[in-house]
Parts: sequence; C-alpha cells; structure tokens
Amino acid sequence: MNHAWLNSMLMAMVVGIAFIWLAIPFTMAVLWSLVDPVEPWTADKLLPPTMSFYRWTDMWENSSLKSALVSSYTLAPSAAILALSLAFPTAYALGRISFPGRETAKLLCLLPLVVPPFITAIFFSSILFQLGLNTWRFGAIVFAHSILFLPYAIRILTVSFEQVRQDHIDAARDLGASPFARFRVAYLPALRPGISATLLIVFIQSIEEFAIAFIIGSPDIVTIPTLLYSALGQDFVRPNAAVLSLILVVPNVFLMLILERLMKTANPALLSGKG
Amino acid sequence: MIARKWLLVLALLTPGLGLILLLIGMVVYIAIAQSFGFYALRGDSAFSTEFWSEVLGRKLFSKAVRYSIYVGVWSAVLSIALAYPLAIWLRKPFPGSIGIGAILKAPLLVHGLVAAFLFINVISYNGLLNQAMQGLGIWSEPRRLQNDSNAIGVLLLQTWKNMPFALLLLAGAVQSISEDVLDAARDMGAGSWARFRKVIAPLTVSGMQAAMVIIFIGALADFTFQTTVGPTNLQSMAQLMVSFKVRGDWHSAAVVGVSLMIIALVGSAVLAVVARAVMRGRIR
Repeated sequence: MNHAWLNSMLMAMVVGIAFIWLAIPFTMAVLWSLVDPVEPWTADKLLPPTMSFYRWTDMWENSSLKSALVSSYTLAPSAAILALSLAFPTAYALGRISFPGRETAKLLCLLPLVVPPFITAIFFSSILFQLGLNTWRFGAIVFAHSILFLPYAIRILTVSFEQVRQDHIDAARDLGASPFARFRVAYLPALRPGISATLLIVFIQSIEEFAIAFIIGSPDIVTIPTLLYSALGQDFVRPNAAVLSLILVVPNVFLMLILERLMKTANPALLSGKG
Repeated sequence: MIARKWLLVLALLTPGLGLILLLIGMVVYIAIAQSFGFYALRGDSAFSTEFWSEVLGRKLFSKAVRYSIYVGVWSAVLSIALAYPLAIWLRKPFPGSIGIGAILKAPLLVHGLVAAFLFINVISYNGLLNQAMQGLGIWSEPRRLQNDSNAIGVLLLQTWKNMPFALLLLAGAVQSISEDVLDAARDMGAGSWARFRKVIAPLTVSGMQAAMVIIFIGALADFTFQTTVGPTNLQSMAQLMVSFKVRGDWHSAAVVGVSLMIIALVGSAVLAVVARAVMRGRIR
C-alpha cells in the first residue's frame, strides 16, 4: 500500500509541475495574444482588462506574418517532397539489399544531425557565395532543409522497406505481375505509412527550422521562426510575440499527434491482414 | 554480377547518402579552408595561420569557449539526472502512466523559440514569478531575472527542452531490461540503490551516452536560447561565429566554427567515456 501511496504522490507532483511548466505559460500566451491595445494589461490585474482579436487581425494585415506563412508553408511541402524522393532509393538499398558496410552507411546517414545547425547554415551560405548562388534563397533553403532532414526520411523509409514481405513480392511475381504492378501490390501497402510519416516529419522540421532560414533567407525570405525571433529581439511587443508563438506551436502539435499515430500503424501485419 | 550489384547499390545510395556526404563534407571542408585563409570573399586567398592565432588570442573567444562548454555540459547532466528517475518510475505501466509520459514529453512538441517566449513571460520584471514571490512576501520588490549573468535561464530552458528527449531514450533502454534480471537482483538482497548501480545503470549506459552526447552538442552550439534569454555580457560560440559572419569576417567565423566542431567531437568523446566509467562504477 505504501508503494501505491508513493506513486500517487509522485503523480500529483508531476501533474503539479506540469501545470506550472506547461499550462500556466500557455494560458498566459493565449491571454497576451488577446490583450486589446486600448487598455494595457498591467501587473495588478489578474486578467487583461479588455480582450479582443485586435492583435490577430492587426498582425495579419500590417506585419510580415502573411508572407512568413506563405514562405513557411511553401518551403515545408517542397522540402518534404524533395527529401522523400531523395531518400527513397537509398532507403531501398539499406532496407532490401544486403551489402558489406550497410551498417556504416546507415550511421553516415545521421551526419547532418551531429553537425551544429549554425555551422551548416553559415558555411552552406559561404558555398553559395563562392558559387555565386547567394541570391538563390528559396531554392537554397529547400535544398538544405531536404538534406538536413534526410536522416529522418531515410531511417523511417528503411524500416518500411524492411517490413515489405518477400512472400508478397514472390507471389506477385509468380502470378506474372510487371515490376510496376509488383511495386503497387507488394511494396506500396507496407510503405504507405512510412511515406506519410516521412512527408510529415520533414514538413514539421522544415516549418520549425531556424538556423538555415535565418542565415540564408535574410533579409528577403521571412519564415515563422525567423519572424518570431525578431519579435523576441529587436522589436519585442509581447502580444505580437504571443500571436506568433501560438501560430507556430498549435498546428505542429496536431501534426505531431498525427505523426505518432502513423508511426504506430507502420506494421506489416496490420497492413497485410495476417500475423 | 558482383560488380553490377555494387554499381546498383552505389547508384541507389547516391541521391540520399551521397548528397548528405557531399553537403556536410563541403561544409566542413569550406570551414577548415576558410579558417586558414582560403576561399576569401574579399582580398587575397592564401594559406595563413594568422586568423587562428588572432582569434585564439582574443579574450572574447576563450570566454565564449568556456561559456559554451559550461552550458553544454550542465544541460546534458541536468537533463539526464532528471530523466533517469522518471524513466525508472515509468518502467512498468500503472494506471495513469501513459498520461504522465505524455505530459512529460510535451515540451518535445514546443518550438525552442516559443519556449523562450513563454519563459520570458513568466520571469519578466512584472511577470508571474515576480508577482508570486512578492505576493508570498519572499521578495519585497520585483527582481530583474531576465538575461541573468549565470545563464540559469538558458540552463532551465535547455533542460525543459532536452529532458523529454533524454527520457525518450532512457525509457527505451530501461524498458528493455528483463524483469527476471531485476527479480534475481532483488532475491539476492539488492536494495533499490544497488539495483540501480549494479543492474540498471550498466545495462542502460549506451542509451544514456547517446542522450548525453546529442544534448551536449545541441546545447554547446546553442544560439537562440543564448540570444533571447542568455547573459548579455557573454557570447556563446555560435553567437560569436554569427557575429563575425555578419561583419563579413568569414575567416574568423570559420576559426570559431572549426573550434566548435573540434570541441563537440572531443567533448562528446570525453563525456561518453566519463559517463561509462561512472555508470559502470569505476569512479565512485
């Protein structure tokens, strides 16, 4: 019984800490984003005296928010599709062909994750300068994002390729399926959750990426994180930063929850209908 | 046939692994070359060690190195120290454990900049913390907590952001220990501390090392937390590198960048070895 008591104490403690750690800061962010400029929210008041969506509409109409949303949400799907297409052949080789050095190749794929992002950003921009491509900002960011997040794409797709069942491929071949038909009936069902997970994870990472977008994009391309960064620094207006924070965080939380579901369904037994 | 298979494998690896090696290889190569005076964007390109001796001799640089190592090591140690007991506690499912796990991992979903904003909100001069401390009568007047000179704010944020990641890796490692092993230890009279020292710690050391190294490199190279909540009289290495680059001094930026990579490599190796020695009980 002592154990159960300790457990509930610990649970209460974690929930209490999480309340201070998560719930209070987020509630404050929401409240700050609703502060109406006619009456400031001063320290002596528990809630903002006047609440409205003024900041939201004002940010939408009079700041770089619109162009930041457009660039972030154009960069991210482009990077996701490019990363998927670049990762596909490599993942096939790593997942379905056994060759000496395969484990080393898998490890080398993780390289972009260990090089600090600002080093990649600065010296990638140096390479662009050397090549005279320094004005090619959009393409450069898409290219850098897709390579930087290839480790995730390759890892997820390799696992998916490993899960394709050889007996399905053989059965399709024995029944005279063409290579394309074999891909469609034997590979695709097992790969589908992996493909969606790859697109989603690169999308989320690209939306959130700061170093490359900040170093390569500035001053022409503004993304949501770079806009939030400037809102936290030189032009700090608390309610505006609150609006941007919520715009950055809320959609990605939902996308991550979808991703978590996808990763769980990446199971061949479920897909092929047999254990 | 063998040659054909190799050609096929190479062709398949080229767009993925090939591009990774090309980009990261070029980035590292350019950084090293520029730190020795090559690839100058202005003036002459020629071999020179002048940039190294100049930057290494500056107080600004040595302060940045010490500061970045401080942030890197403490962030890694604090995140892991907090994550270990939680991972062990959540090892066996109990009613509510999934919910607790989800709450603990929630910061993984929050962008670092958003976390920084939330944090600034709480600790600002008229913020919640100051209000609460005054309300409780502990402080008589509001204190300036933002950009504190010991970088406590940066360490808190790093731990907030990285503890869930350490928890994720450690939970996986702890859960893979078979119940039989722990039962055997219990039957032989091992208490909970002995079970941790003699069974759990040695069996989870590689997961712990991985978490330690990844958090260390991330925090060592931190830019955003440092520039938003960090001390204003100190610069992190990434911040110093960016400030050199902004001034167009690519060679000095390269010296800082290459030093950062060397410290990341050497530091990770040292941390991994020390962590292993501590966890295997060689250092007491």
